[in-house]
Amino acid sequence: MYIPKVAVLFGFGINCDHETAAVFEMVGGKSTRVHLNTFISGEDELSNYDILAVPGGFSFGDHLGSGRLMGNRMRFSLRDELLNFIKSGKPIIGICNGFQVLVKTGLLPGPDNNEPDFIQRASLTLNDSGRYEDRWVTLDFNKDSNCIWTKGLARIDCPVRHGEGKYVMPDAESLANLANNNQITVRYADPKTPQSDSHNDEVLPFPLSPNGSMMNIAGISDKTGLVFGLMPHPEAIYAQWLHPDFSRGGAPTSTTDIEWEGQGLQIFRNAVEYIQSTR
Amino acid sequence: MHVTRVEATPKSGPGLRDVRGDVVRRQLSADHNLNFTAVKTIVGFLINSDVPHAEITTRADDLFADPIIEHSITNQSFLGNKEIFSETPDAVVSVGFKPGVTDNPGKAALDGFRTIFPKASLDSDISTYITYIFYGMPQGTSTEWLSSTLYNNLIQRSFVTDGEMCKSSDWLMIDYPEKPPQEFKTPAHVNLEISNEQLIDISETGLLALNLTEMQAIQQHYRNPEIRQLRQAAGIVEDKPTDVELECLAQTWSEHCKHKIFASKIHHTDLETGEQSVIDSIFKTHIMNPTHDMQNDVDWLLSVFHDNSGVIAWDDEWSVCMKAETHNSPSALDPYGGAMTGIVGVNRDILGTGLGARPIANTDVFCFGPPDWQGEIPDNLFHPSRVLRGVHAGVRVGGNESGIPTINGAIVFDERYLGKPLVYCGTVGLMPRKLPDGRESHIKTPSAGDVVFMVGGRVGYDGIHGATFSSLELTEESPSSAVQIGDPITQKKMIDMILEARDLGLISCITDNGAGGLSSSIGEMAEYTNGCKIDLAKVPLKQPGLSPWEILVSESQERMTVSVKPEDVEAFENLASLHEVEATAVAEFTSTGIFHVQYDESTVAYLPIEFLHDGVPQLELESEWKIPKHEAFDPPQTADHNSILTDLLARPNIASKETWVRQYDHEVIAQTAVKPFVGVNRDGPADAGVIAPIHGNPRGLVVSCGIAPRYSDIDAGAMAAAAIDEAVRNAVCVGVDVDKIAGLDNFCWPDPIESEKTPDGKFKLAQLVRANRELERICRAYRLPCVSGKDSMKNDYGKGPDKISIPPTLLFSLFGDHPDVRNSATSDLKNPGDKLYLVGESLEELGASELAFMMTESGHAAGIGGNVPLLTDPNRLFSSYRALSKAINSGVVKTAHDCSEGGLGVAIAEMCIGGRIGAKIDLDGTGNTSTWARLWGESLGRIIIAVSPQNDAKFLEHMAGHTTTLLGEVEATSQLSIVDGFDELISIEVNELVTSWQGTLDLTGGVA
Repeated sequence: MYIPKVAVLFGFGINCDHETAAVFEMVGGKSTRVHLNTFISGEDELSNYDILAVPGGFSFGDHLGSGRLMGNRMRFSLRDELLNFIKSGKPIIGICNGFQVLVKTGLLPGPDNNEPDFIQRASLTLNDSGRYEDRWVTLDFNKDSNCIWTKGLARIDCPVRHGEGKYVMPDAESLANLANNNQITVRYADPKTPQSDSHNDEVLPFPLSPNGSMMNIAGISDKTGLVFGLMPHPEAIYAQWLHPDFSRGGAPTSTTDIEWEGQGLQIFRNAVEYIQSTR
Repeated sequence: MHVTRVEATPKSGPGLRDVRGDVVRRQLSADHNLNFTAVKTIVGFLINSDVPHAEITTRADDLFADPIIEHSITNQSFLGNKEIFSETPDAVVSVGFKPGVTDNPGKAALDGFRTIFPKASLDSDISTYITYIFYGMPQGTSTEWLSSTLYNNLIQRSFVTDGEMCKSSDWLMIDYPEKPPQEFKTPAHVNLEISNEQLIDISETGLLALNLTEMQAIQQHYRNPEIRQLRQAAGIVEDKPTDVELECLAQTWSEHCKHKIFASKIHHTDLETGEQSVIDSIFKTHIMNPTHDMQNDVDWLLSVFHDNSGVIAWDDEWSVCMKAETHNSPSALDPYGGAMTGIVGVNRDILGTGLGARPIANTDVFCFGPPDWQGEIPDNLFHPSRVLRGVHAGVRVGGNESGIPTINGAIVFDERYLGKPLVYCGTVGLMPRKLPDGRESHIKTPSAGDVVFMVGGRVGYDGIHGATFSSLELTEESPSSAVQIGDPITQKKMIDMILEARDLGLISCITDNGAGGLSSSIGEMAEYTNGCKIDLAKVPLKQPGLSPWEILVSESQERMTVSVKPEDVEAFENLASLHEVEATAVAEFTSTGIFHVQYDESTVAYLPIEFLHDGVPQLELESEWKIPKHEAFDPPQTADHNSILTDLLARPNIASKETWVRQYDHEVIAQTAVKPFVGVNRDGPADAGVIAPIHGNPRGLVVSCGIAPRYSDIDAGAMAAAAIDEAVRNAVCVGVDVDKIAGLDNFCWPDPIESEKTPDGKFKLAQLVRANRELERICRAYRLPCVSGKDSMKNDYGKGPDKISIPPTLLFSLFGDHPDVRNSATSDLKNPGDKLYLVGESLEELGASELAFMMTESGHAAGIGGNVPLLTDPNRLFSSYRALSKAINSGVVKTAHDCSEGGLGVAIAEMCIGGRIGAKIDLDGTGNTSTWARLWGESLGRIIIAVSPQNDAKFLEHMAGHTTTLLGEVEATSQLSIVDGFDELISIEVNELVTSWQGTLDLTGGVA
């Protein structure tokens, strides 16, 4: 079996690089933590990898808006490399700060025509509460999404850990377009209501929606389904013992038969298997 | 060069809001009950560069504003812009930094500016500000007062436009903060051949914090003919110190760095027993010796006392270390900056342990004045609620941005912390036991000839005299230069880089720059090779003009000192450049026996290493113990225990701290198995943090703490014992392996040296003696080595009759092994039908209890006196802890919670809150004491557990021979019911408990 090579970016305040690298290895990938400058200087090349992960953290301290400065470094110094990476059908994930970076570079949600143009179309801004918080949320996945990362996922619990996670778009039209394209990949949900096919567009009350995101958006993908970003941290529930209900005997199990596996790992496995299936 | 102003302000529209403004509005409502209609904000940038205004204008939305959600404007202000701010505001306050104060957003903006304008002048700089615009100001609110709630004049500037000026569009605009030039002074020669009074005067006016004996020791040193001869040969003034030397000695010999009180010779008198004895160093006698004795019995104590943190072997592959520090004085003056530098500072202690450890978890324990304090506030200090907000924000930003989870902590309230808040910050580190090159990671390996780098931040005027300042009491004249703001991102970049350098085998020795700056860091490392030679002219500065002594002792943040073999210098520099971390060779190790400092070619300090480190004379002190007198706590005959329970739950010392704790990232690194809040709604209290730091491996580490400062009112010895027992109890509740635990002792004391300003010094020192005697006794019984610790001995405010001294406070932190995090227990009740037991026994110990304080404050009792909880038989308790821990580790027990403030009554209430479920218990048989003592007493060694009926027998087997009493069971109701035999004491809805417990400290002002 081919072992996909995963570049896990770090540097400048990214801080979930170790666990993000670890979860890809658990599902059969080979992770390398790569400092962004290694790609910018040309010492290493993005094209040497099959998957790119932009982990969570506080790149540049979130100053001038989360993900902004890191996004600019990528937008201005790594543009062609990113373009080629996406054109060659390789998946990218941005988690939390990584999602913010992908939105600020314009890779998410991206244009309608599958040709990344690095134009910012949405933003992730301060939570309505005004507070950075670490709390667990329930997420519902869009079963009609073409996102390769979320295949087969329905509902999972995950922690959010952010102060700027409110997804906004400048007008109702662009939001509707995003919904119609099935690019709204994952939303905050009320665990007490069963997962249904109907879209819940009304913003859920705090803390079910931890940030007041428009249409309860927790994560989106681009038109190709290869680029995916989300605010919650699926890598933080790689094992059931990380679930807050574990000591109560109530940690949800994963769909695999790996006894201790947590629900978040499938996202990373999907990308690894996608690469394996396309080679 | 010219200044370009760029401003950004949130757009309005459906779903969009000005969150920064909302936060200010909510806080004014929560803290001061003032309700404004709206608060809006503008974020401003003042760019000092050679890039033309027009070019900046075209790129403003690429950098300074987010065009999706913000408007931007260049070269003018939004103030008065009728399109955006159509209504005339009632007040406008702009807040920016004073010149030279760390401006993190400005630094980040400058970095982004260089990405867009790579050719901008190297001198370019950016300063930021925030403008708050107030609408619907309540009658009688003063604009000046409003401004004072938004900024701290030690570090910030505020520009205020009042209502009248708003009406006439007379906006007061904040301008670019030009740094005043620093004047470079060549080292002065300080004549010490003067009278004793003049020696003391030099120490006091120079903030040296040295006493007469110490000044005389320095005087003597320069009289020594051999020294004079050496100095003559070195080309430095022979018969007197340079200012560089004097400052260097003052830092190195400060109480903060040398722990002179713990090292002193104490003549102890106990007026109760008639004991007269001499203790030659509390530290050696009561802390170091017991730990060294234990080191003979176990193989896992790798490094104790001498490094930046204590290291234990965790398994064959990994070792762990832990350190806790205090940052009290800086946090009093600037709660935000002081606390932030506290947490990022202790992170560096971990990074500087051995050859470098990775910080993986933080702990934060704070002691504040009452959050609802209505009385006087000492000059120059802040209201406790503001201290709480600031300290919390500093620790939150420092920890979160560094990517280190905060997994454990506490907040304690007492009036006496008004004078000095205590801010304890701890960090746990992880390192591979062996590096790829085969070296053991906990052993430093420097040699003469190694090149010494300063890595990370630059040296500035900020942070001068921190060590000596914290060795003095706070006064209204305390210096602003001792206050700094941290820069977690610069530090994070440095941590990334240093850990890579470690794994590449490039580091031979490493330590952090904390108190005393380069003088301490290089000075301490130079002890290994017996010498060093520093060139201060090479040290990169934040601003030119710093004088040599300032460069040597400045405590500017985010700096490590790292030594590298000459052949590795290039690789080390390349790695630093990849990570955009500044690393500058500033010194080399020698074996000359001399701490040799140059500025370019001229020698500015030439001190024998031995004199620098061991020349400080031992203090001789006197202590005298007599039992403090208190009115005895005598509870009334009858009482409504339901309302006592809800009142206790609402006490700040007991109330939920969730809204504060939830703002810390406690899960980054994906390792936290037991989080700070547990239970059905994840809002019940956790006893300890449990992490599984190796991804994919359920082996865990437990981190807990204990603190009981109010017991010092009766006996500081009991206070120390209670703190240690609480830390151990908490760890036992989650299932720690009690045979592999290690502790940290952090003492915060009021000045215990008898003097004119401290007439009760002998008593305070006796309290210290008793605390340490108990520490030794309990730690030996619990086989609990203290592997690292710290003391802060001048926690007083002011002089004379208005002096405020903190209650003597020991924070005891614990870290230990957990064989499998899947067998952790938590405090929340799980299932109806589970049996409830009390492990341990309630004694008649209500003295200094939370109940006693509450009833005394409300006038229902005469005083807090009486029996304070004591540990008369720690060996017996410890064996029951071992049995319970084994039961938890075998998976038999899933629920455990210790009894601390508020006793058994509060503990069972908290367990119901976590489980959102009822329980029925009977106190009969839990101790041969009054109902009050069994219900609310705080006797040590007690843990409530719940066990499922099918595991009941197994549990009792584990606990055979240990005091274990059946209390009752978990019920499928929403009611907590407590009886004592036939007497009904408590019957209350769990939801009522939740409301009482959660209301007091939720100071968020909601989310509306």
